[in-house]
Amino acid sequence: MDETMDGKKTDMQPVITLSHLTKEYKTYRRGSGFTESIKSFFRRESVVVTAVRDVSFTVRKGSVTGILGPNGAGKSTLIKMMTGTLFPTSGTIDVMGYTPAKNRKAYVQHIGAVFGQKSQLIWDIPPEDSFFMNAAIYGVDDADYRERLSLMVDLFELGDCIKKPTRVLSLGERMKCEFIMAMLHNPPVVFLDEPTIGLDVLAKQRIRSFIKKMNALGTTFILTTHDLEDVEQLAQDVIIINKGMKVFDGTLGGLSRTLGEKKIITLTLASRAGKELFSGLKGITSITSTSGFEMTIEADTAAVSMPQLLKELSARCSFTDISVKPLPMEQIITSIYTDSPDFNISPADYEK
Amino acid sequence: MSRFVRGFRKYFRLYIRCARTAVSAAVAYRMNFAAGMIITFFSNILFPLVTIVIYGAGLSFPGWTFYQVLLIQSIFTVSSGISNMFFQGIFRETNNAVRDGVFEIILLKPVEPLFYLAATSINPESSALVAGGCVMFGLSAAHVPGITGAAVPVFMLFILAGICVMLGLTLVMAAVSFKWVGNSRLPELFGSVLELAKYPLGIYPHSVRTFSTFIIPVALVASIPAAVLTGRVESSYIAAVIPCILLVLTGIVLYKRMIRMYESAGG
Repeated sequence: MDETMDGKKTDMQPVITLSHLTKEYKTYRRGSGFTESIKSFFRRESVVVTAVRDVSFTVRKGSVTGILGPNGAGKSTLIKMMTGTLFPTSGTIDVMGYTPAKNRKAYVQHIGAVFGQKSQLIWDIPPEDSFFMNAAIYGVDDADYRERLSLMVDLFELGDCIKKPTRVLSLGERMKCEFIMAMLHNPPVVFLDEPTIGLDVLAKQRIRSFIKKMNALGTTFILTTHDLEDVEQLAQDVIIINKGMKVFDGTLGGLSRTLGEKKIITLTLASRAGKELFSGLKGITSITSTSGFEMTIEADTAAVSMPQLLKELSARCSFTDISVKPLPMEQIITSIYTDSPDFNISPADYEK
Repeated sequence: MSRFVRGFRKYFRLYIRCARTAVSAAVAYRMNFAAGMIITFFSNILFPLVTIVIYGAGLSFPGWTFYQVLLIQSIFTVSSGISNMFFQGIFRETNNAVRDGVFEIILLKPVEPLFYLAATSINPESSALVAGGCVMFGLSAAHVPGITGAAVPVFMLFILAGICVMLGLTLVMAAVSFKWVGNSRLPELFGSVLELAKYPLGIYPHSVRTFSTFIIPVALVASIPAAVLTGRVESSYIAAVIPCILLVLTGIVLYKRMIRMYESAGG
């Protein structure tokens, strides 16, 4: 059992533990316009920006944990602190017994990282040369290197791409090579910062399939993304960050239940009708009519059972088609982003 | 085999592999590489023309013959070439990576960032400068009488100390990049201090001699090694080796401390 009824993570075997993590930056306020520019040349007002504020959570060994949040929420800062490349202002991080920024050299030997917008490959030479150099840096012996490289090239179906200069590869091919670069040394924990950004559907699917296979072999993944499909297809656990604070920490199932047991019912009506046809129905939280013939109904199945609701709908109208879907993840996430309070909240609290 | 020897062998092998990759990347565009080599060579090796002009006009640096001055400048050229080839890249790469917010890529490697940067930023274009400097050194040394074999060990010690000065200055500049982001003009400032090493130490006022020998000991890059070969060595020069070592150590410590200030860029 991976989760409790309220969507909290169970069966804990934490591989990562963050405790009250905070990261502050000092930056300077520069005004716009000529006068402000001249003024700020002589005197700048310093501003402390809190990118991550008092964040605590754990990541289960062998899981895929998605970290979601709008732009500027602090996801990348968080992941950089977990990789040991940024020093936290306060709080502690424990990853496999290491304090990342303090034991950086020993620690990074056991992790991999892919940054969707930052390349580890050397631009002018084939990825294979970059892989070969990285294998030496991580102390991978030649036999292991060849075996791992062959496995991952096959999984990605990269073929001879790794022998072409990096600059001539497509974005999808480059991103697959970034994964190989990050995982040649067989790290037990891999951090992915927007790994599918800008990729087409096929490349995304190939990367997701690779992550699933490596996860099945025991690798723990921590993933930040804006692509909710990445989360829906890969993550068992989800953490949502907004304005530097954690606003959700639970399982994917728990996340889908944060707005209640809601379903979206789409009806294609046999004859034109208005929204008033369904007024007064129990458990209906919203009705949208896209045309006189199509009606989208949001229903809370905690308030009314689905058979009962279908019976009521059948009694009120005649329809030629019906579809029942869960509430889209995008709607749930948007609701959490916009309504996130200024304190941490658990899935159980949301349900209250 | 001791742990130190094992560690040294591991790092040496790693250095060779990284350096080979860096050279492969540098020669990926053949014309650019060839042009870069020629430009580096001519833009650095032509400065002795000033000396030729001075001596051709019947003037001189007091107490120094034309070939003795050329000896200083050839040593400067070789030392600059070695510096450009093996560790100038540390500053360039640090400066670029901090400005672009990609220094975490370097921090993700399980080796010292300074080692990684030195090994992966080798600049083979400067090999022409080292070769040209060596030819110039041979030509000028052939015309300087009195160079003895006994002077060679001390000369080599000072050459090494001079290279330490250039390394130390590079590390300090690179370290400053973490705080002063995008300081691409800083090398010009340090370069102007290095200019002091291109000419005989005796032409400068006492305060400048003291500064360039014991404070920021740039004189060890060329002036003092050449003084050793031409029999002008002073016993106090040996003390100048200490600030050279201190400069390197300061650079390393400063760089390691300044890494903590790295703030990356938005994701």
